[in-house]
Amino acid sequence: MDSENIRSIKELPPEENMQPGTAACAGCGGLLTLRYCLKALGENIVIVNAAGCFTLLTIYPFSPFRNSWLYTAMACAPAGAQGVRDALDILIKKGKLDPEENLKVVVLAGDGSAYDMALSSTSGAIYRNLDFYYICYDNEAYGNTGFQHSGASPFGSRTGTTPPGEKVPVGSQLQKKNLFDIWNSHKPPYLATVSPAYPVDLMNKFKKAEQFKGPKLFISHIPCPPGWGFDPSQSVKLAKLSVETGLWPLKESIHGEVEHTFVPKKFKPVEEYLQAQERFSHLFKPERQEDALKSIQEMVDEYWRKNTLLP
Amino acid sequence: MLRLRFHGRGGQGAKVASRVLGSAAFLDGYNAQDFPLYGAERRGAPITAFTRISRDDIMERGLVSQPDVVVVMDETLLLDPQSSPLSGLKKGGVVFVNTPRTPFETKEGYGIEDHVITLDITKVSLDMIGQPVLSSLAAAVAAKVAGIGEKALRDALKKELSAIISEKDLLDRNIEAAIYCYNSVEPISIETTEKVREKENIISIPFETALVSSPSILSRGNTPLRRTGNWRIFRPVWDYDACTKCMTCVARCPEGCIRLNEEGYPFADYENCKGCLICAEECPVGAISKVRESHSQTKEGDQ
Repeated sequence: MDSENIRSIKELPPEENMQPGTAACAGCGGLLTLRYCLKALGENIVIVNAAGCFTLLTIYPFSPFRNSWLYTAMACAPAGAQGVRDALDILIKKGKLDPEENLKVVVLAGDGSAYDMALSSTSGAIYRNLDFYYICYDNEAYGNTGFQHSGASPFGSRTGTTPPGEKVPVGSQLQKKNLFDIWNSHKPPYLATVSPAYPVDLMNKFKKAEQFKGPKLFISHIPCPPGWGFDPSQSVKLAKLSVETGLWPLKESIHGEVEHTFVPKKFKPVEEYLQAQERFSHLFKPERQEDALKSIQEMVDEYWRKNTLLP
Repeated sequence: MLRLRFHGRGGQGAKVASRVLGSAAFLDGYNAQDFPLYGAERRGAPITAFTRISRDDIMERGLVSQPDVVVVMDETLLLDPQSSPLSGLKKGGVVFVNTPRTPFETKEGYGIEDHVITLDITKVSLDMIGQPVLSSLAAAVAAKVAGIGEKALRDALKKELSAIISEKDLLDRNIEAAIYCYNSVEPISIETTEKVREKENIISIPFETALVSSPSILSRGNTPLRRTGNWRIFRPVWDYDACTKCMTCVARCPEGCIRLNEEGYPFADYENCKGCLICAEECPVGAISKVRESHSQTKEGDQ
């Protein structure tokens, strides 16, 4: 692949490395992210899939992929990737595999796996400088099993296990883990956040990552129509809103040095994003929970102030 | 004892329908059981739910394999061999199908011999509730077929739905639409025999070599064979006079099932388009409109 950056969606590679007909929900933001990622990665890859929503993509005897696929438990996709990488390296070393036919190893994990269960095995893989791609599709809960709370669920959200009630009207009381910073403290060669609403940005990040040997990590914030509670047609709009409100900063880090790849000219109020979703509806009615709304906005403002991108 | 089985798709409300029916029967003085069956959750997947209603104690447990009444909330399931909504239906049983077609057309179209009742509850739902959520409507139809009183149904709807719906207005519209469906269905007396229709019985497959009889796991990218197009409630339709060939819809389709024709205009693979309508929402010139899907009309030859 040439290293020239693409500038518009018209320049997206036309090849489809994922076929339609998957079992994913209509309007799945994760599927859209995955489609772009596979366009960027090409056909010669092995996907190591941690248990999650995307387990449903490949159901025997059907597969939407043109590439190989390995299924692992939630906690050990990076360990599976290590095994695949080692096997490929040994085959090449023994002359049993033409280096031309080498494959990229790609881990595909949901936020439940990435933020919680597989955190230690991912940390280990980054620490060992395993040469692989890691894609986390983050819908902020365990979406596949009924949208239960995960380490990625944001403050104030309703999940299957944090329903707003009389005692805790706000829903989830915990803050979303900052996985970007956790990973970044390992100083991996390449780390980025992406969004399905910004495919050009996503594609160029994958192109940039290609030059590095070692862990290349991507976290994509993705809207989930049944879990978040909105009409499937609004998926891209919501993904865009999460970036435009400043909630999901698009950034990359090369050997630990962080740079923002997109800064909204004018930040939209977070409320615009929250109001569009059923999982935050309790913050607005029957009465507005001013404190919670204020603290969410403040959290966003503080982030951008800290990065001196906001006065 | 009356045994009912609901067949719907994830997100349509088959589980809640069986639950509302169970509660309605209970409030009407019957004993009742209701429970769903589904695998890993996802919208669009075939879902089954069951209800048992009886004046006597219900000692039976487990799935209803020989129902007296089958409620088909999505008619495309009738053609789905994995779902097979009619399997095990008792002779003299009743089939409700959610379709705009008449009972006669439905019987002919799908080769059903049993008593068929039809009503386009998706249309009722869109008109009266504003969303294609069918739980209360399917429950109402089933309640009428099962001979449950209107008051019991109303109370059950209020009780079960208020646990899920917080908006009072939406709750009222649900109940109103349900009662409308309840009154649209003629009362019926069900007299089933213990005999099961033979058509759907287990078939035996002759021995074949593995190459013939087993699916090939090495065939790549074969999901289009699953034809998820029958999940759709609305279909995107392009107006090529307005289209500027900007490629936005092609890029934004999560499934990647929008392609370009020879002249460079986009078109959808309707066999697999799930009808999420992100394309229509994102089109900068509004060249894509949403048209209510009618699967029964397109069955013979999807354009």
